[in-house]
Amino acid sequence: MSAREATAIVVGASSGLGRALATALAREGYALLLVASDRRDLDALGASLNLQHGIAVRALALDLAREADPGARIAATLEGLPPASALLLPIGYSRDDDDLSLDAAAIGQLLAVNLHAPLAIVHALLPRLVEAHGVVVLFGSVAATRGRGRNVVYAGAKRALVSLYESLRQRYPDRELRVQLYELGFMATNLTYGMKLPLPVVEADVVARTVVQKLRSGSARRHLPRWWALVAMLVRWMPWFVYRRMKG
Amino acid sequence: MTHDARAGQRGFALADADLSSFDAQFHARCRLQQPDRYRLIEALPRDAKRIARGSGVSYVAASFGADAISQSLAAFDRALAFDEASGRLVVEAGARIGDVQRFALARGWYLAVAPGHPAATVGGCIAADVHGKNPARDGTFRRVVERIELATAKGLVIADAAQNADLLAATFAGFGLTGVITRATLKLARPPAALVMRRVPVANLCEAARTLREAANAPVLYGWHDGRAKRFGRGVIRIGLASDVADPRALRVPPRSRDLPVPIVPSPFATWNRAGIAAANTWLGWRWCRPGQSPLPLADALFPLNDARSYFAGFGKAGMVEAQWLVPHARFDDFAGALAERVARDRPRIALIASKLFAGRPEGFSFDGDGVALAIQLPSPRETGQRAFLEALAELALAHAGRANLIKDSTLDAATARRAIAGFDAARERLATFDTDGLYASELARRLAL
Repeated sequence: MSAREATAIVVGASSGLGRALATALAREGYALLLVASDRRDLDALGASLNLQHGIAVRALALDLAREADPGARIAATLEGLPPASALLLPIGYSRDDDDLSLDAAAIGQLLAVNLHAPLAIVHALLPRLVEAHGVVVLFGSVAATRGRGRNVVYAGAKRALVSLYESLRQRYPDRELRVQLYELGFMATNLTYGMKLPLPVVEADVVARTVVQKLRSGSARRHLPRWWALVAMLVRWMPWFVYRRMKG
Repeated sequence: MTHDARAGQRGFALADADLSSFDAQFHARCRLQQPDRYRLIEALPRDAKRIARGSGVSYVAASFGADAISQSLAAFDRALAFDEASGRLVVEAGARIGDVQRFALARGWYLAVAPGHPAATVGGCIAADVHGKNPARDGTFRRVVERIELATAKGLVIADAAQNADLLAATFAGFGLTGVITRATLKLARPPAALVMRRVPVANLCEAARTLREAANAPVLYGWHDGRAKRFGRGVIRIGLASDVADPRALRVPPRSRDLPVPIVPSPFATWNRAGIAAANTWLGWRWCRPGQSPLPLADALFPLNDARSYFAGFGKAGMVEAQWLVPHARFDDFAGALAERVARDRPRIALIASKLFAGRPEGFSFDGDGVALAIQLPSPRETGQRAFLEALAELALAHAGRANLIKDSTLDAATARRAIAGFDAARERLATFDTDGLYASELARRLAL
């Protein structure tokens, strides 16, 4: 199926990596279903991509922290678009006080966005994606490499995505459904803007270009940028008595 | 800090940043917000002073100030709607003029009024009410804007001829003090099939003014002049005329990667000392000051600053200033004569003089009127001699009913600005009616007491 006969679904499309992915996919000619929380941003992005690339764009405003069944809403919105062949889930919501001090409501919100939403959306769209021999693209985080005293719930949810990646791969051979998991290093978004980070950040456009280039290749789990694989390996192999003394 | 406070800071996209004006005369450590969603523009605490920021290429410090949060519109740079038949284009305020021209020219249209720097944003052009390549023919930026959307303390406001017309008028040359412009509807025009650039050498500024008046209807019209005492005013009027000979290459605009960069890294040593200015003027005189004409790609006419990277870098860390004064026709010859005498006496280092023709009606703080404008660029404006000349220039211009361009000249103080803009107090009061809480603030507004 060529890009011009297919729909790509981008959840979390209005900013950062999601916006960059939507732009890169539009350049390839995909019809797009854009999902994010704010209607105004979605409409602006959709109008701009339609104008620049002449593609079909549909927008769905959803608050993933509160939506009970986001998958069903997305599936319903796909009607009338070309077959859905790519589902990209660049969703991420973290907060500075995720340090073992959150109340149950805050934990629930973090899990709703970072774990429940990807699980529910993947479940709801699996039949369509399998029928189209499509691809699911999940986005993890290097924050989940090893548990720390910060980003506790966020990292737990992101590590659960590794399990989802493995489940999908165990259930479906590549010829039926491809699954790609990117574990992202520090990226220049409004969440990292102004933060003093110990390693360089990568631009969202650069990540998006790589992801879209590899959309037609097989299932894989990769770090982006690639050198983060080495950093992650060092963190994992670090002796516990050293690791526990590290800041944060 | 409490958990709630920490959680509240996250996602505002706020950080400290060192910001400088294009002329390098103002530097400040500021809070810079980089919103990437509309709700973040509106998310600042209600009493936080703020000012919108485009690409940060204003000559003066219009988009930042030590006590204000600069709200960058860089992420809001999209074209949203376009009517092929009428040439109406809706864009977000952070859209760069270079990108707008690329988009428009690819569809058989162009923006007739545009500044020379391709990185200038649509919001910035509205806030400064910039002029283009021939303001006498095309007017200022207000003439190509039909409607704007502003984020204000009272929420989102639409302003056009039918609703909030006063707000629309005050926002042109309102320097961002009426709210954060988020969107604009632009009226595009059909570009000439091709341009030929006619060069008319002139011996002095009076002759330049006469030549400009005779070519008032040309799509491109401006003069370049030598600022050295012995050759003061000598130069060339460049008249871009529409050509009937269609040339597809004439309308091609280079990609964004060829645009003048932001920021320009200053060269470690200043090029524009007397020897450097003499060499550059001699070379330009040899190259340009000969009668004749040649084909001119529209992109070169639209963005002359793309070739000026080393020129601006050459001002070094001391930077430059552009004093720009518009003098009525009836007083211009006297002004030009007095200015030549002053230059002969003070011998300032003038890197460049540009002349343009205006035929509009000044409104608010806008740089418009009926006369001839001179833009005079000097290196190292903080040096005593340079500073003294700039003060003398201001007095000369004021004595000849000159009007200053507030968005260009960072050496103006509040008292001079009040004398240089007829109806200054009325314009200031009009701005204040749209910002009753005093939310919008910048270094420019502080310096000129706007």
